[in-house]
Amino acid sequence: MTAIPLPRKLTRSVQKYTIPYLFITVPALSLIVFLFIPMVVSLWWSLNDYSGLQAAKFVGLNNYIELLSGDKIFIKSLVNTTVFVLLGMSIGPTLGLITALMLNQNVRFRSLFRTAYYLPVMTSLVVVATIWVMLYNRNGLFNTILQNIGLSKIGWLSDPHYSLVSIVIASVWQGFGFETVIFLAALQSIPRELYEAAMMDGAGAWAQFRYITLPSLRPVIVFVYIIGIIGSYQVFDQVFVMTAGGPVYSTSTIVHYLFTKFQDLRLGYASAIAYILFAVLVVFSYLQMRFSRERA
Amino acid sequence: MTVHAKNLRYSFGRLMLYALLIVTSILMIIPFYWSLGTSLKLEQFVFSNPPQWLPNPLTWANYIHVLTRIPFLRYFANSVIVAVVTTLGHVFFDTLAAYAFAKLTFPGRDRIFFVMLLALMVPFQVNLIPLYKIMASLHWIDTYLALIVPNLTSIFGIFLMRQFMMTIPGELLDAARIDGCNEFGVFRRVVLPLALPGIATLIIFTFMGTWNDFLWPRIVTNSEKLFTLPVGLAQLQMKNTSNVAQIMAGTVLTALPMIIVFLFMQRQFIEGMTAGALKE
Repeated sequence: MTAIPLPRKLTRSVQKYTIPYLFITVPALSLIVFLFIPMVVSLWWSLNDYSGLQAAKFVGLNNYIELLSGDKIFIKSLVNTTVFVLLGMSIGPTLGLITALMLNQNVRFRSLFRTAYYLPVMTSLVVVATIWVMLYNRNGLFNTILQNIGLSKIGWLSDPHYSLVSIVIASVWQGFGFETVIFLAALQSIPRELYEAAMMDGAGAWAQFRYITLPSLRPVIVFVYIIGIIGSYQVFDQVFVMTAGGPVYSTSTIVHYLFTKFQDLRLGYASAIAYILFAVLVVFSYLQMRFSRERA
Repeated sequence: MTVHAKNLRYSFGRLMLYALLIVTSILMIIPFYWSLGTSLKLEQFVFSNPPQWLPNPLTWANYIHVLTRIPFLRYFANSVIVAVVTTLGHVFFDTLAAYAFAKLTFPGRDRIFFVMLLALMVPFQVNLIPLYKIMASLHWIDTYLALIVPNLTSIFGIFLMRQFMMTIPGELLDAARIDGCNEFGVFRRVVLPLALPGIATLIIFTFMGTWNDFLWPRIVTNSEKLFTLPVGLAQLQMKNTSNVAQIMAGTVLTALPMIIVFLFMQRQFIEGMTAGALKE
């Protein structure tokens, strides 16, 4: 069928300018309605005393001032979250690197071992938390083992000295397999010739690791840490299920505290918490952009 | 060092390596095993000392309880509905938009894409509360709409798919256009088939994320009829703290579908995970 030239050309150029916008309409609208508008609203609410039931009352920066100077529980949550991030980030990626190095030694059944490390990563955090609540029970498996080797029981989740560390342990168990997989893939992409050349020059295992493996992994290490830090700062599910922030706020985290303020209908206050979290994450996102630009 | 001693040292190293791998793998699996074992025990033996490594007697009663007295099947259906519809939405909308960003030229393209990337940095908690209010004013609380519609597309998905599509040669698309395909035709007949590995990754990420999501479904559902598995499980854990064996039956039922999907699609899982980190 031969089309009449002019209209066809016209439809072509109409298509050229409308079709791309049509293709991005739904994501763009979704972004505006579900992200940008709520973001602005949230920023406005953070400057108000707002319960969601009565009209909002403008209070300026009062919510922020109260949070950062007067609210001991919030400061505690901020500190707890930072401890959670620091502990988790000093154990998780290290375990990930060690296991990846082990799996990279030409081992048999590699995918079987990898599965073992990776299985918790795709398991829901709620599932992980319920399992660990049982393990941490006063009479649970861990305490039974402690008792049977002659030690005394530990209040894993009920003693404020241990509760946060217990949540870190469960979270590291859940997450480090992600780092194993990432590091293993990165290790396998390091050219073999580098190691062969180093061996010719008489470099031992440690020198090879120090001067070839580590530098080659640098970009991936940066990626893993930044992504991990951003994710860990938003910790919520485990805390909600395992301790609900207790005992005596020893495991209260930023997002968990935000959640309780949301339930208390202090929506302006909760929004201010969200923006403080946002500010913390922006710093790390900025770092990531800096580092990934360096790589490119 | 003699060759013999060297060999001996090597064998010893290998032995230690395998021992470490096996011990750590077992440590990783124990919590899962303990959960499964507990779900098959009678409640009075859950915390027995010495621990029961094999359930004795073995009972299905906890599963029967969870499936008949608590609407776990309903939670399961909800999780499947929400995860499947959300994933379909992502596959369609994200890839279509990614195609526009990767392969079409239009005024403002790069600026719009940059704004989307910036939005990727915003933590969900920032828009959580107003989003909840929007859902409430639309009377969407306790409906599938609230669980699905706000998550029907994702910037991350668009970003991921765009990365894949950048590698498709432009000449292929031009050839299809010369043959008379319109833009949607080019997308459907040329781009989609070539982007299939990327789509597999997108499906895995979206399905897993939705299946395991907790905060949002927890906030927009009040009645058990709309709970997804993680919300239902958390509820079970809080309300029914005394009966650990039943909670573990619920835990197994929540985790199992994802584990099965993983075991079948392991290669795609791993490739998808590493694609984001290494191929930037």
